[in-house]
Amino acid sequence: MTVWPEERLVTADAFNTVDMTINVGPQHPATHGVFRMVLTVDGEMVVDCEPYIGYLHRGLEKLTENHDYRQSMGWWDRTDYLAGMACEMAYCMAVEKLGQFEVPERAEYIRVMMVELSRILSHLMFFGAFGADVGSFGTSFIYAWRERERIYDFFEEVSGDRMFPTYFRPGGVQMDLPENYEDRVRWLLGSIRQGLEDFDGLLTGNEIFVERCRGLSPVSQEQAVDWGLGGACLRSTGLAYDIRKVEPYSVYDRLKFDIPVGKTGDVFDRFIVRMAEAWQSTKIIEQCLDQMPKGLVLNPDLPKTLRIDSGECYIRTEGTKGEYGVYAMAKGGNKPYRMKLRSPSFCNLSALKQMVVGHYVADAIIILGSLDIVLGEVDK
Amino acid sequence: MTNETASAYPGVSALVHKHLPKVPFTADKTLTDANITVEPAHFLELMQGLKERRELAFDYLRNVVGIDMQDEGLVCKYQLHSMKHRHSIQVTVHTPPGNPHIPSLTGLYAAADWHEREAAEMLGLVFDGHPNLKNLLLDEDVRIHPLLKAHPLQKMEIAQGIEDRDPGFKF
Repeated sequence: MTVWPEERLVTADAFNTVDMTINVGPQHPATHGVFRMVLTVDGEMVVDCEPYIGYLHRGLEKLTENHDYRQSMGWWDRTDYLAGMACEMAYCMAVEKLGQFEVPERAEYIRVMMVELSRILSHLMFFGAFGADVGSFGTSFIYAWRERERIYDFFEEVSGDRMFPTYFRPGGVQMDLPENYEDRVRWLLGSIRQGLEDFDGLLTGNEIFVERCRGLSPVSQEQAVDWGLGGACLRSTGLAYDIRKVEPYSVYDRLKFDIPVGKTGDVFDRFIVRMAEAWQSTKIIEQCLDQMPKGLVLNPDLPKTLRIDSGECYIRTEGTKGEYGVYAMAKGGNKPYRMKLRSPSFCNLSALKQMVVGHYVADAIIILGSLDIVLGEVDK
Repeated sequence: MTNETASAYPGVSALVHKHLPKVPFTADKTLTDANITVEPAHFLELMQGLKERRELAFDYLRNVVGIDMQDEGLVCKYQLHSMKHRHSIQVTVHTPPGNPHIPSLTGLYAAADWHEREAAEMLGLVFDGHPNLKNLLLDEDVRIHPLLKAHPLQKMEIAQGIEDRDPGFKF
């Protein structure tokens, strides 16, 4: 009988591993843009995460302070570039609030309709990219793109541009809808619903997908509120906080829709809340089409150059990723004195470290994907 | 129609005064919210009260805005919301010119971390007690504060002196 030499016995405390540092990004398909995070891993386990942002910083706020109220429109499109119209809406509302400008009723309905189409657009992008993160590479992306292209065609028709429409104006929208637009939007809704059903079949019912996401990185309500999460990330914890209901703006108080909430705040809940939200958005668009009155779409009384004497406001809208807020201050002249964007992705991303520590590296990518960040909005 | 919580004014400010009678502040309103203005010395005491008193329960820090008021010094504004009572308030802190120190809120709200880092790099505000006040959006070793009114709107390369044109100011 041979005896194993004692000096070669491996005990638990003798088996030390050294933490390894992995750099992810800024150019990496899983970071959904130019985002970099430095993961410290112990084997497969993430023990620390340091996010680095700012690669897409374009000085939005400084530019806005130095330009005419109407000139700045285009930059605000480029914050949440997956849902440009939703950003335009918040910016226009801030200018209108400062200057007390009226918006015609038809324009309000057109705005809400466009914002909800943007919301579907953004959520579709999330389903596609998130499916790719989890492992259904290709299929989910193409599913998303089919509907997204159709919605983009509708944006192009009203504004001439697909991603950055610059369609809204302080005091309304640029021009009226084209002929038969309403009827075709109804057709589009049918197509979107079919697309969402396809997604439901592809992802929600997929056992691999569900196993991968359920129970991963649960967030409690207290944590979500403390970290300043917003949008689907906050609602997935069970808190029914949606600005469209809590502090209604535009014509949202006349529309009937539900706020989908999750239970445990895990990755799967964040996904399923967005899926339900996209369904609710189709309902909102349908009601907008039913209720939309005839009339003007742009307030004709506004001067060529907007001059605002004084005032400050904090406008919050339910952006596609969470609370999209615009703080605005005017002190005379044709430029704002200060404009600050409260970007929902920025706030959601700031909680990334707390969410990924203690999980596997492969899951860290999924958790990052489930936050649904847009780097244009994070970096301003 | 836009968010109309200012119609609740002076309700929320009066509520704060009722439950935090020892903290001196002045109340007014913006176009959307009730606003209370407080000195930096009483700021932390006020925020603690706002968060921890059950009747106020401002548990959600929405936004932090730094503003350069030029001769009047730097100003920091905090937008708060209560998930329980569904009311909102804005807290304004004026710092004297040349002394832009404000106590950090990172001990109270985890959300304050990145907001304060952003305000610090963009305007040069100093949040005392913040654990990690390095640059967030700008390059780590750049020491400029672009949102100060004195900072000109120009290319970064010119501002850093990499290109020839006179930047018009010194770092």
